[in-house]
Amino acid sequence: MATNAEIEQQIAGNEYKAGFISDIESETLAAGLTEDTVRFISAKKGEPEWMTEWRLKAFRQWLEMETPEWAHVNFPKIDYQEISYYSAPKSMEDGPQSLDEVDPELLAVYDKLGIPLHEQMALAGIAVDAVFDSVSVATTFRDKLEEAGVIFMPISEAVHKHPELIKKYIGSVVPVRDNYFAALNCAVFSDGSFVYIPKGVRCPMELSTYFRINEAKTGQFERTLIIADEGSHVSYLEGCTAPMRDENQLHAAVVELVALDDAEIKYSTVQNWYPGDKEGKGGIYNFVTKRAIAHTNAKVSWTQVETGSAVTWKYPSCILKGDNSIGEFYSVALTNNFQQADTGTKMIHLGKNTKSTIISKGISAGKSSNAYRGLVRMNPGAEGARNYTQCDSLLLGDKCAAHTFPYIESKHPTAVIEHEATTSTVSDDQLFLCQQRGIDTEKAVSMIVNGFCKEVFKELPMEFAVEAGKLLEISLEGSVG
Amino acid sequence: MTAEFVTQHLALAQHRSPLSWLSEFNERGQARFADAVIPNRKTEAWKYTSLASLTQGDFAHAAPSVDASTVTLPNIAGIDALRLVVINGELNIEASDAKALELIVHFADATQEQQDQINALLGTIQGEGGHLFAQLNDANINAGLFLNIPRNQRLKQPIHICYLTTPNSEKTGFTVNTRLLVNLETSAEATVIEHYIGDEEQNSFTNAVSEFRVGDNAKLIHYRLQLMTEGALHIGNAHIDLQRDANYEGFHLGLGTKLTRNDIVVNHNVGGSHSEMAGVYVPKNKQLIDFHTCIEHKAAHCTSNEVFRGIMNDQSKAVFNGRIQIHRDAQKTLAELSNKNLLLTNTAEINTKPELEIYADDVKCAHGATVAQLEEKAMFYLQSRGISKADAKVMLSFGFINELIDNLPHEAIGDWLRPILAHRFGRSSDLDDQLAQGN
Repeated sequence: MATNAEIEQQIAGNEYKAGFISDIESETLAAGLTEDTVRFISAKKGEPEWMTEWRLKAFRQWLEMETPEWAHVNFPKIDYQEISYYSAPKSMEDGPQSLDEVDPELLAVYDKLGIPLHEQMALAGIAVDAVFDSVSVATTFRDKLEEAGVIFMPISEAVHKHPELIKKYIGSVVPVRDNYFAALNCAVFSDGSFVYIPKGVRCPMELSTYFRINEAKTGQFERTLIIADEGSHVSYLEGCTAPMRDENQLHAAVVELVALDDAEIKYSTVQNWYPGDKEGKGGIYNFVTKRAIAHTNAKVSWTQVETGSAVTWKYPSCILKGDNSIGEFYSVALTNNFQQADTGTKMIHLGKNTKSTIISKGISAGKSSNAYRGLVRMNPGAEGARNYTQCDSLLLGDKCAAHTFPYIESKHPTAVIEHEATTSTVSDDQLFLCQQRGIDTEKAVSMIVNGFCKEVFKELPMEFAVEAGKLLEISLEGSVG
Repeated sequence: MTAEFVTQHLALAQHRSPLSWLSEFNERGQARFADAVIPNRKTEAWKYTSLASLTQGDFAHAAPSVDASTVTLPNIAGIDALRLVVINGELNIEASDAKALELIVHFADATQEQQDQINALLGTIQGEGGHLFAQLNDANINAGLFLNIPRNQRLKQPIHICYLTTPNSEKTGFTVNTRLLVNLETSAEATVIEHYIGDEEQNSFTNAVSEFRVGDNAKLIHYRLQLMTEGALHIGNAHIDLQRDANYEGFHLGLGTKLTRNDIVVNHNVGGSHSEMAGVYVPKNKQLIDFHTCIEHKAAHCTSNEVFRGIMNDQSKAVFNGRIQIHRDAQKTLAELSNKNLLLTNTAEINTKPELEIYADDVKCAHGATVAQLEEKAMFYLQSRGISKADAKVMLSFGFINELIDNLPHEAIGDWLRPILAHRFGRSSDLDDQLAQGN
């Protein structure tokens, strides 16, 4: 077992040996980011040398890059040397021991969302094993997946068990240099999920990060890699509707999806990170790079419900490389109080007869700002390609803002692009109609908002859709009237 | 290279106007222009528009003087307009109508009263924050023209301003900075046609800035027609300020050159104003045309409607950026924008970006953009009736933009433009005749 001193010595000597494992618990690396930090994180995870090198390369490139400033958001400049990049997972004993110790406000929200009691405990960080046997549930799932040949494990584990897949695909969809935050993630990513669906397999269940809830927290620099081999199918859920508290202010995740020929990936996200208080203090900065590559006849579908985070900067994209591939993007982004969101998608049509659909619904309330930023590009090879984009904004309150920035680029005459955007408010007529039928204002607004988002909610897995509806209701509380 | 562009044009601007307020205005512009940075591909507003043909060309020369009698002057048939001719940035008195010269004054010939008016207005509509070509124009105004329509006056005849560029025998490159300032006082009405032409192959760069102030309840009909030859580079700014209940009707046409860029800004400053804007761009060969429009809704109860259509042929490229900004107090705004594009070939390119930026809640805004080719079914329909494929293509393309031409407030301008546009698609003359007759 290595001691602190030994680790420090290793860092000082820059002599990292592959496979080094440390069992030291609960420690947080001092703030700052240098090559040593990167080596330290890699060493902590016992990564092989190629992985460390990859991280270091990313780090060196990151140093040369600049923070992007084009997004329609304002936040104080982040001092990257002020952040701690590694925090060992806290052991379960540190958390609250029973629901009595949990913030009652949080519990009230769980109740409204209709989350079962044992799940509430898990979410609140109570040592669940003692309460209900989630391990056995997880194990059952794991057995079932193994039977189908599906690989679903933390990416740090996959680095050891399936290095050939990681080496081949990591950074293949989102290159290291892609953007500032992606490069940072490559250098210091903490953990995340790795999924591989073998040829022709239809994943027997919806995969969810939720199953891994009492495993180590993935931390602020999450990295997800999903590979669907030829003819396979997978549906993946990320996040959950319950509010997530986190001490880390900066989140820079990278998600890469690879859909090989005839494969289908459906990726759903519900993001409800801490949005900051009503005065706009605190809250998570969520700078995410999500991208999928679709090969011949493949289909990738992104569905997202974004209600949390103080600042969101997120553009799940599809590169439609193969002929006849399909990309879809369904999004509901809600901002309230002082939240800021700049979100949208990119559809890059490279192959023939590729199709993409974008349905984006933005709701802004309070003093928030909500922007849709999208790119549809038809490259010279995109013969017969088709895109349909609809982005609607709903404004609640006279101090909020809604923006639409769609970029449409076409280099092929047979490609057809349609873009439509509207912005409106909940009209007095609509409210009046509901009210004269005995529905109070708040309920009426939430009904109208739910109706506004219906097209997106119907794309979510069912339980999620119900929760998402309730989530909007909660997020909008107090913003009307 | 790029820094050279600035220094060369600054050198060109080093002449003093006898009017002290104008030379002060120029000096302020020069100071801003000296700090200007040439936009590159990373500059959002110039993302798709390369300035290479401008910065790599040799344009930083004063325009040559030309004998007006040797040039063919453009005429819009069937329109009873007051014509004013500006050749290579010089107001040509002989070729202009006397009545037009009474109405429009050159800055240098303005009376003291007019000078005070110009001094009070010039640059205020455009503001100082514009891009570097706006600064360049402020720095060096070659031809400054001022039109004032007094209170309650309705100008029946349209004002037709022809900006002509023509090379000298050596065909050296040159730059012209033109400036137009129009003030419509309360309840005044006028039609202004800005008509840009280059009569033959040339290397010229026109940097045109026009400022319009439309007073309370006043109405402006504005045409900005760019019918230059390929070698006439053009960068234009048109700024329109609308006061209470003012009305603006604009039509912008760009045939395309090696580089054409237009920034059109409509400011709804006070409530009740309405703007209606249409535009057509039809580049061909390797031309590049870029339209950036911005409708600023700064006050409540204003409405705006904007329709732009483009047809891209050969290896041409077009950029359209249509922005609608609704400011915090602009409640009850209705704003719409539509942009439709046709790509005729595999090598043509369109980049369109309709933008909405909204800070008020009780508004209705919508924008739409489409990109496609000619509809197969429509082509088949025409072909099945014995029309050749090529002719069918022309008819459909033409029909695509003719809708906007039909809606022009002056029929004569539509009739005059139709054959010009039909020629654009390179078709037989008898078809042109048919189209011209509206059949």
